[in-house]
Amino acid sequence: MIKIVKRDQPSKAIFFFTPVLAIFLTLIAGGIIFYILGFKPFEALKFFFIVPIADKYGFSELLLKATPLCLIAIGLSFCFKSNNWNIGAEGQLTFGAIVSGGVALLFYDQEGFFILPIVILAGAIGGMIYASIPAILKTYFNTNEILVSLMLVYVSKLILDYLVVGPWSNPEGFNFPETRQFSDSARLPLLFEGLRIHAGIFLALAAVVISWFVFYKTYLGFQMKVSGFSLKTAKYAGYKGKKMIILVFLISGACAGLAGVGEITGPIGQLHREVSPDYGFTAIIVAFLGRLHPVGIIFASLVVAITYLGAETAQIFMQIPKYTGQVFQGMILFFLLASDYLLFFKFKLIGSKK
Amino acid sequence: MNTNLKISNVTKIYPGCVANDNVSLEFNSGKIYALLGENGAGKSTLVKILSGVVIPDEGKIYLNKNILKLNSPSDAKKNDIGMVFQHFNLFETLSVFENLIIDSDEQRENLKEKIDTIMKKYNFSVDLDVPVLNLSAGQKQKVEIIRCLIRSPKVLIMDEPTSVLTEQETSELFLSLKKFSEEGILIIYITHKLKEVMQLCDEVAVMRRGKLVSVSQINNENIESLANKMVGQDLKTIKKKKENTSSEQLIKITNLNFTSEDPFETNLVDINFSLNRGECLGIAGISGNGQSELFQVLSGEIISNKNSIEFNKNFIGNLNPQERREYLMAFSPEDRLEQAAIPQMAIFENVALNNFKSSNFFNNGLINESKIKEHSKKIISEFNVNTDNIDLKSQFLSGGNLQKLIIGRELITSPDLLICFNPTWGLDVGAINYIHETLIKINEQNKSIILISTDTDELLKLSDKISVIHRGKLSKIMNAEDVTSEKLGILMGGGN
Repeated sequence: MIKIVKRDQPSKAIFFFTPVLAIFLTLIAGGIIFYILGFKPFEALKFFFIVPIADKYGFSELLLKATPLCLIAIGLSFCFKSNNWNIGAEGQLTFGAIVSGGVALLFYDQEGFFILPIVILAGAIGGMIYASIPAILKTYFNTNEILVSLMLVYVSKLILDYLVVGPWSNPEGFNFPETRQFSDSARLPLLFEGLRIHAGIFLALAAVVISWFVFYKTYLGFQMKVSGFSLKTAKYAGYKGKKMIILVFLISGACAGLAGVGEITGPIGQLHREVSPDYGFTAIIVAFLGRLHPVGIIFASLVVAITYLGAETAQIFMQIPKYTGQVFQGMILFFLLASDYLLFFKFKLIGSKK
Repeated sequence: MNTNLKISNVTKIYPGCVANDNVSLEFNSGKIYALLGENGAGKSTLVKILSGVVIPDEGKIYLNKNILKLNSPSDAKKNDIGMVFQHFNLFETLSVFENLIIDSDEQRENLKEKIDTIMKKYNFSVDLDVPVLNLSAGQKQKVEIIRCLIRSPKVLIMDEPTSVLTEQETSELFLSLKKFSEEGILIIYITHKLKEVMQLCDEVAVMRRGKLVSVSQINNENIESLANKMVGQDLKTIKKKKENTSSEQLIKITNLNFTSEDPFETNLVDINFSLNRGECLGIAGISGNGQSELFQVLSGEIISNKNSIEFNKNFIGNLNPQERREYLMAFSPEDRLEQAAIPQMAIFENVALNNFKSSNFFNNGLINESKIKEHSKKIISEFNVNTDNIDLKSQFLSGGNLQKLIIGRELITSPDLLICFNPTWGLDVGAINYIHETLIKINEQNKSIILISTDTDELLKLSDKISVIHRGKLSKIMNAEDVTSEKLGILMGGGN
């Protein structure tokens, strides 16, 4: 007989094993779904997970998608590790893109090395401003940050919509909902000729290193962690707990804003209606799949990025709607949550012999 | 009509712990039964099973020989089992009557009539139209009892009902319970207070570690015999050595006031006291009379006027807790799991919460983990925390071990003053003894203690001076020898 027993304490090995298990289970479930849809499971999975990254173009696309996911997830990890449920990274990304796009448009007919830094900075500030709304409402008015940050996502998308069809739309653009092209000085440089991967990846890598250092090695990180778990404890220890909450939101807003910068100043080079295919929401899955750990988040962002690419190849080669990508993302989160049960419980074989 | 309630071979297993191990008990109306045991002995689980909150893994319950299926609290209500929980289930902002009508199926008028009859019969006086938040704890409890009586219960279960009551309110409650019992309601009284069992009950069942240890007539027992059954070992009695304390003043509080914006908090009014080195000042009171605010004001979580607190000849009223620690103050708050420690963090991380400049836990903004770990190991060995793994999350420590860790963390830096708030709340007798011994020891080292506690026995045992807090005001400071628990009870209830 098998019995379920509570673990005395969660095992470290299991902690990093369950994400792998979740991915494995997702593949199995995905295979079953493909089979039911009438495809050969292995072939379909190959189209989904291997074909898209088999060449150097595909690999560049993988890094391109993983960059914003990684960047946002790193920011979110600050919030989530300190129990602040910022669900609105998508909104912070959008608002960051709006602000940096606005700045880039100011300089649309100018060249100069100073433009790009200002555009990047503007994106980070935009994300921070947008993240400060749920943070301030939470700390000073006791609102629920999940609701506020989530609802603000839709507000930001409507603002963007208004701007690109209205005041900021390209005067020579035949009423297409998009702005002018940014000047080359406002664009993140491409890393390789012919590939779309751009310098934004360095922003993401820097975020990984800095976040690891701040959270694990500094007093500031320690105070953030304590304040997140309990404001009462923070007060008792003498920390400024409310400021810590605002700070983690600002960090996470800045990261999302930077991801927004990467989306518009990278290969696209203009603002348009859809700056992000829900990277801000998907990054929540990335953050948890990566166990809120900087290194884990790098791997998780690569895995989840494949689902974006796989969905596109699957649409082209197998005529499956590209929303299958979201199905896979959903399954990963589902299996991750389910297998986290193993963190706290273990199966024990109870045989006749003792 | 006679009521017979029978618990037969009930077992409830939680992961990692057997809460009830094959418990069988029988109750008959006309008597008051005590269910006695330490925290974690399994009383609450048994009571939750009787009130339908928890479903047992094995065993059956019979009411008047009929098998009872209790799958939810409403099943218990349907079967005339009433329950008054330790923590009141009342809506603070609704009126008493609104609270009573919420879960009643009766018409407004009928209900009102019924409540009036009950209040007359048992001599309860509660204003039905005031919001519950304006009631005293004793009155709130009466509302809970009325709520049960409306359904004319056969069985009434009271879970630790006196923890929030004054002595007077307690004796009123006991009179009512005796009256209910005479009228044929079967009363089950859960407590860990031995005196109350002797005063009130006819029969006593003792539980220990999930098992039923004994069932006996109260006439055959006394306080010592019950205590030994409850703890399972002979109790050491500790007594404070009365030594001459020094006359050097350590802390002086002058005209300290605190007015809160939160209507659920208590304002502090003109707090004045002083304390010498080596003394323990006990502050008694019923919870909710300003203790938590007083603790926060003393610890610096609430900042006050600079000159209102003089400590070691420095004025520190405007400093935050971390800054006060530098002047050698230490604090042990009431809430272990939500304030004094963070359960989800490792032991050594919890140690770092008490951070002195000289302890060098953080250099230039960086964490000095080896220093913290070294310090943690010292605390664990000096204060008998039962673990050797400082990477363990502190949620895996028992309440007693966690409290030892907290007290150890605060004391290892040898502060001049320790301010603690209910330091033994919810601990088992062994851990309580250890904490008490530690507190006595630091007094002997000429260090001072301010002990805010709702446990009068603890205060009488440890304090040199005692004061009572009532509605945010401190009574005059008395010498502990001149104080009896009766006198404290009167002051705690607002008398003179």
